[in-house]
Amino acid sequence: MKIVLDSVTHARPSWSLAAKGTFTPGIHLVSGDVGSGKSTLALLMAGLLTPDRGTVIREGIDKAMLSFQFPEFHVTGLSVADECRSWNLEPEPVLASAGIMASPERPAHSLSRGELKRLHLACLLSREYDLLLLDEPFSSLDCPGKEWAARQIGRRTAGITVVFTHEQSTFPHIDHIWEIREGNLADCGGMPGALRAWERAPAIVKRLVAEEKIPADLTQESIVEAACRTQE
Amino acid sequence: MIAFENVRFRDLSVASLSLPTGITTLIGPNGAGKSTFLKLCAGIREPEEGTVTVDGASPRQTEVGYVNEFPDRNLLFSTVKDELASPLRFRHLPCAETEREVGACAGRWGIARLLCREVRDLSGGEKCLVALATACITRPRVLVLDEYDSHLDASRCAAAERILRSSGAVYIVRCTQQMETAAESDQILYVEGGSIVHTGAPAAVFGQLSGTPFYPLSWRCRP
Repeated sequence: MKIVLDSVTHARPSWSLAAKGTFTPGIHLVSGDVGSGKSTLALLMAGLLTPDRGTVIREGIDKAMLSFQFPEFHVTGLSVADECRSWNLEPEPVLASAGIMASPERPAHSLSRGELKRLHLACLLSREYDLLLLDEPFSSLDCPGKEWAARQIGRRTAGITVVFTHEQSTFPHIDHIWEIREGNLADCGGMPGALRAWERAPAIVKRLVAEEKIPADLTQESIVEAACRTQE
Repeated sequence: MIAFENVRFRDLSVASLSLPTGITTLIGPNGAGKSTFLKLCAGIREPEEGTVTVDGASPRQTEVGYVNEFPDRNLLFSTVKDELASPLRFRHLPCAETEREVGACAGRWGIARLLCREVRDLSGGEKCLVALATACITRPRVLVLDEYDSHLDASRCAAAERILRSSGAVYIVRCTQQMETAAESDQILYVEGGSIVHTGAPAAVFGQLSGTPFYPLSWRCRP
């Protein structure tokens, strides 16, 4: 199973993205600044956008899912319960797993944005996919919510998961890091060596790399463990 | 000061609270009442009971710039330029002055290259930057910013912090889920279950939150 970006380019009048690389099973992080093209790359990989040049080749991928960065784009049910049922899920267990106290009868759009994101992720992550593309899965979540989402995503052991984010503090277990720099997708490599090549890494990661305290992973536990090392 | 007295609105209740000048940041779980608190500060909602005042006046009689946590709910016009110009045009500023202010504001926020773009084509982070710049363009006394940074990268967050500090706003009341950003505030309010649970300087409030996910990662990694 893999997804190959075969010299893919997508251009707009004031902006362009070029991407080349192969995504194999595991959890990938795609990092990049505001407007760098993370969401565009997610749309290209999902097949919702056709590249100007090059091809997105999917091999062995039957079931794919894209989570948009704005949870409000996913709502199809009027109430919270309707929204859960639109995923073929019973509301109570979903609300319990997402830690949402709101009544199932409440209008979905009256939830706070963080609650809506939790609801969306709880529904989406209840299923298995060959390819799961998560555009900014942590935005709007509170700190416990980010940790919950990171644990849920990090538990995925099968398929290809790609997390597109500029998050700085909370990450799931990560196998591979990519970075969009000046319109080009750069392959930083596998973990933990990728941390050395990650130009716009979070400040705390950059500090640890400079001190040669390389975290084994990007989870908070790994980062705190590396920071607390007294010697290599 | 921004004063809450015996305020009740839906699930939020605040007995007595004064916000000093400077940056006040609300933190807390999703659904705790942070956005409701901010809407009361901005005068978008009025309390069912009690009063909210800004230096003695109603928020609705105060110049307030507001950013909603849903980026698309901030944007009224088709192009970035029209969106940014809208608060000035609503005040009937002369066209030349509007043009000048829009250019200066876009330059300050690093969005000059976006001016001719359609807002629907912007990325999530770009929409947030346009909303922030639009809220600030008339230099309001009060800025109320609801999770304005949830789609911003680290360098844009740092730039926003600098611009907000020099915006001329007397009160900046905001909420964020970036604890490193919250730690830069003058005051923090920790909100949970519709109540203000902790208030004070960042060190004092985070001291109460030690061992919780709200404690900043960089503080956990201090040598």
